[in-house]
Amino acid sequence: MPDDIAEVYRNTYPALVRFLYRKVWDAERAADLAQEAFARAVVHKPENTRGWLFVVAANMARDEARRAAREKRHLTLLKNEPDAVHSEPDEAIDADRQRSAVRAALEQLTPRDREALLLWDAGMSYDEIATQTGLARGAIGTTLARARRRLVEAYDAGIEGGQHAARG
Amino acid sequence: MPHVDEGTLHAYLDGELPFAERKTLDVHLAECASCRTMLEEERALLDRASALLGAARPTERPAPPFEQLSVPRPPRRSPWRVRTPVAWAASIALALGIGYYLRQPSTGPVASAPEQHDVALVQQANERDKFAERFTQPAERADENKPAPGTPRSHAAARAPSPVPAPAPSTVAAVAVPIPQAPPLAVARDIAEGVVKTAPVAKTDSVAASALIVDGGIVRQQSAASQSRNAAPAPAPALEYMSTDSLARGAAGVSQATSRQSVELRGRATTTSWPIISRGTARSLLGTDPVGLPGLARQIRRSPAADGTVVVEQRIDSATTIQIFQRQSGTAALDSSAKAEIAPADRLARYLGRLRVEISGPLSTDSLNKLLDQVQPLP
Repeated sequence: MPDDIAEVYRNTYPALVRFLYRKVWDAERAADLAQEAFARAVVHKPENTRGWLFVVAANMARDEARRAAREKRHLTLLKNEPDAVHSEPDEAIDADRQRSAVRAALEQLTPRDREALLLWDAGMSYDEIATQTGLARGAIGTTLARARRRLVEAYDAGIEGGQHAARG
Repeated sequence: MPHVDEGTLHAYLDGELPFAERKTLDVHLAECASCRTMLEEERALLDRASALLGAARPTERPAPPFEQLSVPRPPRRSPWRVRTPVAWAASIALALGIGYYLRQPSTGPVASAPEQHDVALVQQANERDKFAERFTQPAERADENKPAPGTPRSHAAARAPSPVPAPAPSTVAAVAVPIPQAPPLAVARDIAEGVVKTAPVAKTDSVAASALIVDGGIVRQQSAASQSRNAAPAPAPALEYMSTDSLARGAAGVSQATSRQSVELRGRATTTSWPIISRGTARSLLGTDPVGLPGLARQIRRSPAADGTVVVEQRIDSATTIQIFQRQSGTAALDSSAKAEIAPADRLARYLGRLRVEISGPLSTDSLNKLLDQVQPLP
């Protein structure tokens, strides 16, 4: 029996947008893709709507990313350019800059680690992540631990690098 | 129990450790200080990672209502399923149009034989509905006044009506206007009256007279069907027009199709299938300002034959539209053989500046003449 899509929509939409946002880095586009994914779900009526949605969303985001790959890399480089006058602590880093730093850090993760982390953050259970990524359920904890560590390290390295560059 | 790995700790912190393992771990943590330290480190890492991800989230916006999402989207996903019949109809109509267009050149010489014209006109009339039946008789009556066939004059006149019958296929869908298969009786009567009014006055070649009638008839139907001539016709009616046309062609039979079809088209394909153009385009085609009756709504079209002929259509009233054909007087056009005639029978004509101007419409010759006198360059 397929899930009640309207119900899934209410519960999952924000998470799906968030999940997509961290792949396409454009709030409008993320919302569009999420709605497109739900629209497809309405047509396909999958058994496991939530899981299906994230698979479809991930695919759409990947297609999107391929298309915008070059542009995106260029943008990342630009955003990683250290701000010369910026030497304030973490808290003061404005939201935009922090977002680009997180983005840059996320991009240093392996695709599998990143996917697991984003799925977890989107509210998926280990079982769901296992189904989605093809990882063994028992490996999810380890994968997430590694992903989190790398994210934090890459982020700190990025910020520090930026400050070094600013000072030097 | 040996010390735990970070993966287990993360699963524990995530609340995803199976119940039995969780119990065991709880026991171990109570005894093992280093594992407790490690747990706190992992908890800090986890919180930090969550915070970072939280910083990279889009501005939360409320989800659009589900109904909004599900209603318009599915049709967007399957537009072709819905429109398949329409698409088929359009393809067939287009194919017929192209087919007809391609065979058009061979029909020219045959069509100029007046006898065949007459026969074909009558047949064409029969193929059409009530309205057509009515105008057949006056057309035959006018026939009696016809000059001997084969004279240059009748030849010229025969070639004169509605300049280019075959619309370019690409323009058909865009500008074709429906010709209802069964026009309302009132319209039919109008047309019949138009015949009576025009045919005797014209006192000449039946082809010419009929062409004028058909012109007028179609213009009238059109204005009855649509109050706004400026509005582009909807695609659906255009299809209707195409299929009506092709049906009639099918009925015309294959054997004598050539001459018949050309005349049929001559009658049918009035300027309603000509592409609508802007005044600027008309100006560049004519080399000067297009002419017409000032102060009346107008629609400018060009001949699909690219012979530089432009028609300005103007509404006299809600049911009457006149057509003012114009082209540069120096250019060779369709009715160049009729040039000797200042006023060929089918259309009253005059020269205005560099333009040769002809007027046509469902009005008496006198009225048309007066209107033609008032024609002047349009602002």
